[in-house]
Amino acid sequence: MSALSLRGAATPLGLGAAILLAWPFVFASAYDHRVFALSGIYALLVIGYQFIFGHAGAFALTQGAFFGIGAYAAAILGVRYGWTLELTVIPAMLLAIAVASIVAMPVIRLESHYFALATLGISQVALLVALNWESLTGGANGIAGVPGLSFAGIEATEGMKMAVLVWAVVVVGGALAWQATRGLYGQAMRLLRADDIAAAACGVDGARLRLVAFLLSAGYGGLAGALYAHALRVVSTETLEFHVMVACLAMAVIGGRARVAGAILGAVLLVHLPEWLRDFERYYLIAYGVLLLAMIVLAPDGLIGLVERGWRRISPPSPRSTPAPIPILGRAPVRHDVPALAVVDVSKRFGGVEAVAGVSFVVRAGDIVGLIGPNGSGKTTLLNVVSGFETPDRGHITIGGDSVDGLAAFCVARSGVARTFQTPRLVDDMSALENVAAARAWRLTPSLPSAISPRRAAHMDQRARGEALGLLESLGIAEHSTRQCGGLPIAVRRRIEVARALALEPFLLLFDEPAAGLAADERDDLARRLVALAQAGRALLIVEHDMSFLLPIANRVACLEGGRLIALGPPDEVAHDPAVIAAYLGTGRAGGMD
Amino acid sequence: MLVAQLLVNAIALGAAYALCALGFVLVLNATGAVNFAQGDMVTAGGLSSVAAASVLPMPAVVLMPVVMVAVGAIGAIAAAIAYLPLKNRPAVSVFISTIALGVILQNTMLAAAGPAPRAAPPLIATRLVQVYGVALPLQSLAVICVAVLVGGGLFVLLFQTRVGQKMRATAQDRAMAAALGIDVVRVIVLTFTLAAALGGAAGVLLSNTFFVTPFDGANYILKAYIAATIGGWGSIGGAALGALLIALFEVLFPALPLIAPSLARLPAAAEIFSQTSAAIALYIALLAILMLRPQGLFGETARRRA
Repeated sequence: MSALSLRGAATPLGLGAAILLAWPFVFASAYDHRVFALSGIYALLVIGYQFIFGHAGAFALTQGAFFGIGAYAAAILGVRYGWTLELTVIPAMLLAIAVASIVAMPVIRLESHYFALATLGISQVALLVALNWESLTGGANGIAGVPGLSFAGIEATEGMKMAVLVWAVVVVGGALAWQATRGLYGQAMRLLRADDIAAAACGVDGARLRLVAFLLSAGYGGLAGALYAHALRVVSTETLEFHVMVACLAMAVIGGRARVAGAILGAVLLVHLPEWLRDFERYYLIAYGVLLLAMIVLAPDGLIGLVERGWRRISPPSPRSTPAPIPILGRAPVRHDVPALAVVDVSKRFGGVEAVAGVSFVVRAGDIVGLIGPNGSGKTTLLNVVSGFETPDRGHITIGGDSVDGLAAFCVARSGVARTFQTPRLVDDMSALENVAAARAWRLTPSLPSAISPRRAAHMDQRARGEALGLLESLGIAEHSTRQCGGLPIAVRRRIEVARALALEPFLLLFDEPAAGLAADERDDLARRLVALAQAGRALLIVEHDMSFLLPIANRVACLEGGRLIALGPPDEVAHDPAVIAAYLGTGRAGGMD
Repeated sequence: MLVAQLLVNAIALGAAYALCALGFVLVLNATGAVNFAQGDMVTAGGLSSVAAASVLPMPAVVLMPVVMVAVGAIGAIAAAIAYLPLKNRPAVSVFISTIALGVILQNTMLAAAGPAPRAAPPLIATRLVQVYGVALPLQSLAVICVAVLVGGGLFVLLFQTRVGQKMRATAQDRAMAAALGIDVVRVIVLTFTLAAALGGAAGVLLSNTFFVTPFDGANYILKAYIAATIGGWGSIGGAALGALLIALFEVLFPALPLIAPSLARLPAAAEIFSQTSAAIALYIALLAILMLRPQGLFGETARRRA
């Protein structure tokens, strides 16, 4: 991790620490200390929620339930066996994680609105169970007499001690969350939440990342619940009600979704809001709603986003010290004895439309195969089938001699197939360097443990950035490496996407209209680079409309019409094939009618 | 006899749920976003009819148009403050902003009406009427009739008028509708208004049989959300059918031991056939549907992440 991001992160962290240190001295009564401790408990809950909501970008409504489950677990164990926090905290976290892993099975792959509903439903079930399983949960009465907060034999039931203990946990939990998400691992999540298709094309296992984030959320939720049970010594069904979830969501949105300091800020602010608005009695909840609404409209990055933007204005970030470019060593040498890509009798239907019908061809290492055909002839569908984004109804695909039938897109990407998109799918608010580096994540920092180890993570992050810079340099766009992708011209964006594709160390590259939108000189430059890639032993399959670009560089050209392969051969032959000409001119519809 | 009464009650409940769910789906189609405050429109409708009846002691069927206009106005405000500023942001932003709006509405209603449960007047009267020799509750029959009328009116509006055509065009493709010269913002505000009025109508229909308190909205939004999901996301007919299914399940499941007395002899029958277990079973059924048929019971296209 280089200096800038450390600095960038240190600012909000320092702010959080300052609030943390100043608060107990500003407000000194024991009651205030207890309120402050409560805000620490909520901070942990929100830090956990940020994994799934802020980092993985999935709108889960289960965080309140994880809190309640943790609280009940700690309370039941505390009352029945006299266990204190040291003994109850692990079972509380494990129970929340266990519930999360069971419910994740059906819901983790669901689309956004369904995921929200499913997680809401699960929370309702948890509440109903707590209300009705009276022998275990005390029903509507809840559970009283939970052992007070203590740690390692030291009582922490008094306000100040309670605040110190809780906030010590917040510091540890916050540091872990910060470390886990600040490097490559966090960048993979950022790519996933911005664009899950691009993420899959970069070999990111979205379902797995979301699952890990969900389980982490549950663990933190359970931890916060256990602390709550021992701090308040009473647990009731209130801990499972929807307003806990709403409070957690409001804290994350108001503080900031993906920053530890945001979670702390949001929790401290909203837990103290009723104290500050005590004169307004029950109207304070209206103010609460207004604040949430105002923040989501006016400051979607939360207070911490405002603070960071203000800070950047006061002290503009110095260009991040970029590491020296590092070449990617690449995977095992390309095999020439098997085709890089073999498509065998592949068909794909959408409803009544046969988008691809019985297409077969091969692409060998060093080949550039052009894929042409009129609009709607199935070219992009074929690319999607090859790259695993669509499952063919019939036929087989082998890549480097190995069958990829039934493999998910991210697995196909990992097996050495990289692609670009008709409209480049880059993350606009990430720099060019970060966009390319994110595609190295699954190779360099593939798991949570490797992200949490500061030395390994920093090393891998450094290496990924070096390699990304090397790729950008080889494509002649190193000077754009620190710019946000959103503002870059299309020619540069296309090259960044090529660099990102190369970051996967592919031996098969799929391009979807790479020349579209490029000026003549940019097109010539791209053509030279594509030829160089093929000469280096890679196989290229290029969908393109621009014949003056494609025909000179392709070894062979395949033409689709109505989903069928109507011509395949050297560029000159195909270009003069009457069926191909007819397909483009729309006369006779040769070949597509049998 | 008993079964007929149960069925009529269930259909009445389902008809009211359906109005709420229709409003939910209209906004969903027009904006692509979940309006989480739709349930609070039901509460607002219920409390408004309580308030209107205290000023003007009339049967609720007379008060209903007034209530629908009042709650519709809340819907227009909702569009202005919780949707329009976010119309170019991800749909989740609107989900969150309508949660915030719900918090505001609930607590405003709490401040205005207090926490005590209230009951609105019946649509016409509460008594039993004889239909083919079967005694049926008049309120339930009236709820069904009114809901069918309101639903029919919605159908006419959507499919027989220019405004409805614009609404459907906007729901199909906002960008295309705008390109064709439709004032999309106006249509969306109108959709929110209509959706809230439908929610308000549901509130009038429900709040005689059931007490109304300021925090009931969460229950109704869940039902609408589930109805829209099992009916096929975005399908108007599917949502109405889904709402009916939920209500039938909610009413008939706890009544199974009454319908089939042999079930009552099962061990722990009281626990198995309780309202709570019906609710739990409903959520579990929802999860099963999401897992096995994410396109809904009647839908076609699958909706999963890449």
